[in-house]
Amino acid sequence: MHPVLKWFYQWAVPHFVYPRIQTGLPWVALLASSLLVIGLVWGLVFAPADYQQGDAFRIIYVHVPAAWLSMLVYMAMTMMAISVLVWRIQVAELALIASAPIGAAFTLMALFTGAIWGKPMWGAWWVWDARLTSELILLFIYLGIFALYHAIEDKRQAAKAASLMTLVGVVNIPIIHYSVIWWNTLHQPPSLSKLDTPSIHPDMLWPLLITLLAFKLMYLWMLMLRLRTELLLRYPQSAWVQAIVQAMVQAQIQPTKDKSKDNAR
Amino acid sequence: MSPVKRQRLMLVGFLVLGVSAAAALIFQAFQQNMMFFFSTSEVAEGLAPIDRDFRVGGVVVENSVSRASDSLKVVFDITDLKTPIQVEYTGILPDLFREGQGIVAKGQLNAQGVFVASEVLAKHDENYMPPEVAATLHKPPAAAY
Amino acid sequence: MRFVRLVQQQLSLAYANKLDWLTPLLFFALVIILFPLALGGSPQTLAAVAPGLLWVAALLATLLSLDSMFRGDHDDGTLELWAASQASLLRYTYAKLVSHWLLYALPLVVLSPLLGYGLHLPVSALPVLVLSLVLGSLSLVWIGAVGVAITSGIKYNSFLLALLVLPFYMPILIFGASAVDVAAQGWSALGPLYLLAALAVLSVTLAPLAVAKALKLSLN
Repeated sequence: MHPVLKWFYQWAVPHFVYPRIQTGLPWVALLASSLLVIGLVWGLVFAPADYQQGDAFRIIYVHVPAAWLSMLVYMAMTMMAISVLVWRIQVAELALIASAPIGAAFTLMALFTGAIWGKPMWGAWWVWDARLTSELILLFIYLGIFALYHAIEDKRQAAKAASLMTLVGVVNIPIIHYSVIWWNTLHQPPSLSKLDTPSIHPDMLWPLLITLLAFKLMYLWMLMLRLRTELLLRYPQSAWVQAIVQAMVQAQIQPTKDKSKDNAR
Repeated sequence: MSPVKRQRLMLVGFLVLGVSAAAALIFQAFQQNMMFFFSTSEVAEGLAPIDRDFRVGGVVVENSVSRASDSLKVVFDITDLKTPIQVEYTGILPDLFREGQGIVAKGQLNAQGVFVASEVLAKHDENYMPPEVAATLHKPPAAAY
Repeated sequence: MRFVRLVQQQLSLAYANKLDWLTPLLFFALVIILFPLALGGSPQTLAAVAPGLLWVAALLATLLSLDSMFRGDHDDGTLELWAASQASLLRYTYAKLVSHWLLYALPLVVLSPLLGYGLHLPVSALPVLVLSLVLGSLSLVWIGAVGVAITSGIKYNSFLLALLVLPFYMPILIFGASAVDVAAQGWSALGPLYLLAALAVLSVTLAPLAVAKALKLSLN
């Protein structure tokens, strides 16, 4: 087998993936949280205010990365869904299910910050703006995939159904997005969401790029945390999980004993 | 050719046919004016309908805004930088409404050729910059379109 | 079995169970009757909201009709026979969908101009209403079938089905309702009708593949 291909195949093996999550986790956590702090402090405190929107524009440092991630997570889920349906990779099943609530959380965050931004910009917490509306629909798609997985008892079958639903969604999301934009321009002027890319001054752009990267790493961080748990739950009988649980129990016994002594005193 | 292969080929052909038919239909759709949006020149030339609502967009002409003293009625001109038309609106204008700003109005033409708006919305551009930078930039108002 | 024969079989099965195909139709009519009662009978008010009401009611009626699409065949093992080969499963899916559309969607389309007239929709907009419902209901049934197939192994699936399918119904609702709305205001509705036709063609060609795949999954 080709060495590169072999390297890729390893990542389909649960007991290969688990220890690598364990070693990688603190580094990803450190990098994600420090970039998040740097980006947010820079963006929220030091970046200049906008010429028309004043300080209100600063919410883009949370809103834009969250909105971006809400779509990026779906793209990642699509890749995983293809791996599940074409190559039947079990780790991908777990990663897909671990991703769905994270994607929903980012979407909710984008909606919430969008509403906060809407108040000073449009004078209302909610307007049926094209972006907000398609974001809201995306939230329901995430929740649907998640609900579908939990409604089916056989978890392997459930993961396959969720993967299929993810793929059906990927065909539909662009259609939904453009239909909502079209609907919006029909009922409101194109002003609120033009299709051309916004231009942004470099002083304001840098912190945005940093928070974007930080949010991506945050997704990775949360995915690793959730995937770790899902792996343990999916293979409770396998030797490597048994070994890990043994080790955990050993480690737990020591501190609990100390604690009970403290309580007795 | 084996039956399985032939069936697969038929399926692929069917899919290609379906997707291209859909693409052709979408192309047809975009040939239509679906926004019911007219420029001020088109309105002045009489291309816009007179008996129903449509939308018109343009830049508010400098020094053209006049407010009635006893009501919320506002009269102003908007232009696509070629031909201006007069717009009449009763109500509270959006915060971003100012002279030189691009707006979109929805409403009907009256018998005098004045556009009676039922709704006025200001365009906020999607350029983010500090106020000092904005002051040094002399963008022509046409850049909004 | 030949395709036409399959459709005929489905139709005669439904004929034996007469009330079944009437229920969505009655639901459609009753929901529409609720609105004049809630909003008052003023022709202007009703005409302004009629396109949206008719479309939402038709959408919900179609959604309600979906639930039982594969249930009988799933429970008595018919589905397993069809799933033996990919090609025959696709043919079965198509026959099922065509007969479902004829049974449940077509009556809604036929009844809609009457209800539209009742809501004071301009008579000139009624042909557009019918055409938009013909094109739109194709997408509604075909896309909805994916949701039904995916949830077919689950016991109490109606809410889950709605949650899965409704987001994908939104483009159809947008184009359908605006086609009627635009026609009622006297404009040409060709734009949204073309888009509805594009969606119908896309879902009729693509959705059966997903339905067949989902049915196979649910059988394992």
